[in-house]
Amino acid sequence: MIRTKSLTRTFGEVVAVEGLTFEVNEGEVFGFIGPNGAGKTTTARMLCCLINPTYGTAFVKGNEIGKEPDSLNIRQIVGLLPEAPGLYEQLSSYKNLDFYAQLYDVPAVKRREKIKELLEMLRMWNRRDEPVGTFSKGMKQKIAIARALVHDPEILFLDEPTAALDPRAAKTVRDFLSDLKQQGRTIFLNTHNLDEAERLCDRVAVINTKLVAIGSPKELKEKFWGKTTVVQLRELTSRVVDAVKALPFAKKVEEEDNRLLIDLSNPEEENSVLAEAIVRNGGEIQFMSELKHTLEEVYLELVGG
Amino acid sequence: MRLRKSWIVAKKDMAEFRTNRYIMITLFMMPAIMGVVIPVSYFLPIQLFAAEESGPPLEINLTMNWYHQNYTIHGGNYINASFNNMEISYAVIERSFVGNTTLTFTVVNNSVLDNVSLENSVITNSNIYNLKSREGTLVEDSVIVHEESSETKEITITMLNFILFFYMIIPAIIPTFIASYSFVGEKNNRSLEPLLATPTTDLELLMGKTLAIFVVTMIATWISYAISSVLVNILAFPLLGYYPLPNAIWFIGFLLLAPLFCILSISVNVLISAKVTDVRASQQVGGLVVLPVLVFVFLTFAGPAFASAWMMIVYSLIFLVIDAAVVFLSTKIFRREKILTKWK
Repeated sequence: MIRTKSLTRTFGEVVAVEGLTFEVNEGEVFGFIGPNGAGKTTTARMLCCLINPTYGTAFVKGNEIGKEPDSLNIRQIVGLLPEAPGLYEQLSSYKNLDFYAQLYDVPAVKRREKIKELLEMLRMWNRRDEPVGTFSKGMKQKIAIARALVHDPEILFLDEPTAALDPRAAKTVRDFLSDLKQQGRTIFLNTHNLDEAERLCDRVAVINTKLVAIGSPKELKEKFWGKTTVVQLRELTSRVVDAVKALPFAKKVEEEDNRLLIDLSNPEEENSVLAEAIVRNGGEIQFMSELKHTLEEVYLELVGG
Repeated sequence: MRLRKSWIVAKKDMAEFRTNRYIMITLFMMPAIMGVVIPVSYFLPIQLFAAEESGPPLEINLTMNWYHQNYTIHGGNYINASFNNMEISYAVIERSFVGNTTLTFTVVNNSVLDNVSLENSVITNSNIYNLKSREGTLVEDSVIVHEESSETKEITITMLNFILFFYMIIPAIIPTFIASYSFVGEKNNRSLEPLLATPTTDLELLMGKTLAIFVVTMIATWISYAISSVLVNILAFPLLGYYPLPNAIWFIGFLLLAPLFCILSISVNVLISAKVTDVRASQQVGGLVVLPVLVFVFLTFAGPAFASAWMMIVYSLIFLVIDAAVVFLSTKIFRREKILTKWK
């Protein structure tokens, strides 16, 4: 669906994005995570044909960015939710959406149906005639999301959709995005909410001007920490520690109070052998579990905490 | 370019203008002030001055069958008389012929006048051929066959041209108010980015926004013109003896020069929008666009030659060239890339 090749953008001397090469598949929710100034918004703007790359290129559903009439085709099939809702505050939510639907050439009858459908889904239909300026931040964000969807885009670009929202409004938006994911829509999600990315994204790319890592959240976690088993013992003895360290599949063993943290390659197979070795050497296991790393830890490891 | 897309943008912008009370006040106040206040404030004093200077009619004692030429007459009442090459003052003339004569404080009734100058006189129910000049004179129920310019008439016509250029301020100044909201306001509201993400070209967007400002500005301008034309005609008729409007100068002014000033103002404001982040700052800088209009206002003081129909066409052509250059620059600056990366 999206394919970039050495995508680079500079602003004068400042390099915003450098040599990005990645692909986004159809129906995938692709997370783009990175610190402020990492180039997330610049990348989204390039892919939506708002600005041109300095070097490299990208294709969105076969259309090359920055080329006419490909740029117009791309803008027709993508929906963009920018960082700020950017609604016309004096106009009603219905008029805001109707205006954009007209620009996307949505026929009049379908326009009415689509706007009604979206506003009902977002529980905003009963406030359709009120000026947007009277809405809360969360409500404005909902209308902005509806605007990005009013022409049924094939790809949705969302730039920090839950930033600056209170937890309740953020949850409403996340639930809505989750519904969109279920519908199989391709979503390009710029965020630094790592919990959100972990829950919603099939794959994530970590960028910090350059592409740092890419993969599913699970793959990334395993890549950096592998799989860790935690064994809680009544008492941790040196005999037990030595026995565990002697196991050939134990890649790394850490001691922490009465706990052992053991990095394994294949815990499903190796955990039973590990348990047996501990018991045989006088260890009294209280419980064993898998140590779960979060995407946040991956992120901090990659871009620095 | 797809005009339909531009029109969608224009309609949205106009809907926004309707909800902005500052814009609506500007649009209503301009025709009210310029259309009513200017004609009244300029023509009423001239009319009052002319009426006061005409003086009261003299008492009539008839003197019959006079024929005089190359004389000066002071006082007297004349009926069925003939005057040629004379200076007559404080007289009453009835059913007579007056040729090559200057009449001062004189009343003429049911007569024929040819090649006369009138000062503070009243001419009633007469035919006036080749009226050389008149000052403080009332011509009631008379027919002026041909009239050379008089001071009052000259002042009236100069005023007519002078206020025409005042009206040219309307299409220059209104866009500075509206464009500041349309461009800088939209930039501050951050609503430009989603708009730029739609499948419209830069030119279609610029055209749409320009069209909205152009339409409302020209409606306000032409309403001002219609109101003022009626008032000017009512107020200037007693001074000129005819309805001065519509005339070619005003037609060219309102149909050619006014739209050109409007487009110039909008385009200048697009250029300003790229550098300014505040609506009020944009209005202040944009207000400078009235300077060339004010130059015109002052030029009209130099003489009526500056406001002939031909000169109006010349001015229009000059501004057509200036407009083309500024519009070209505005299309260069109104590019997605520049709006998102270079605009402040």
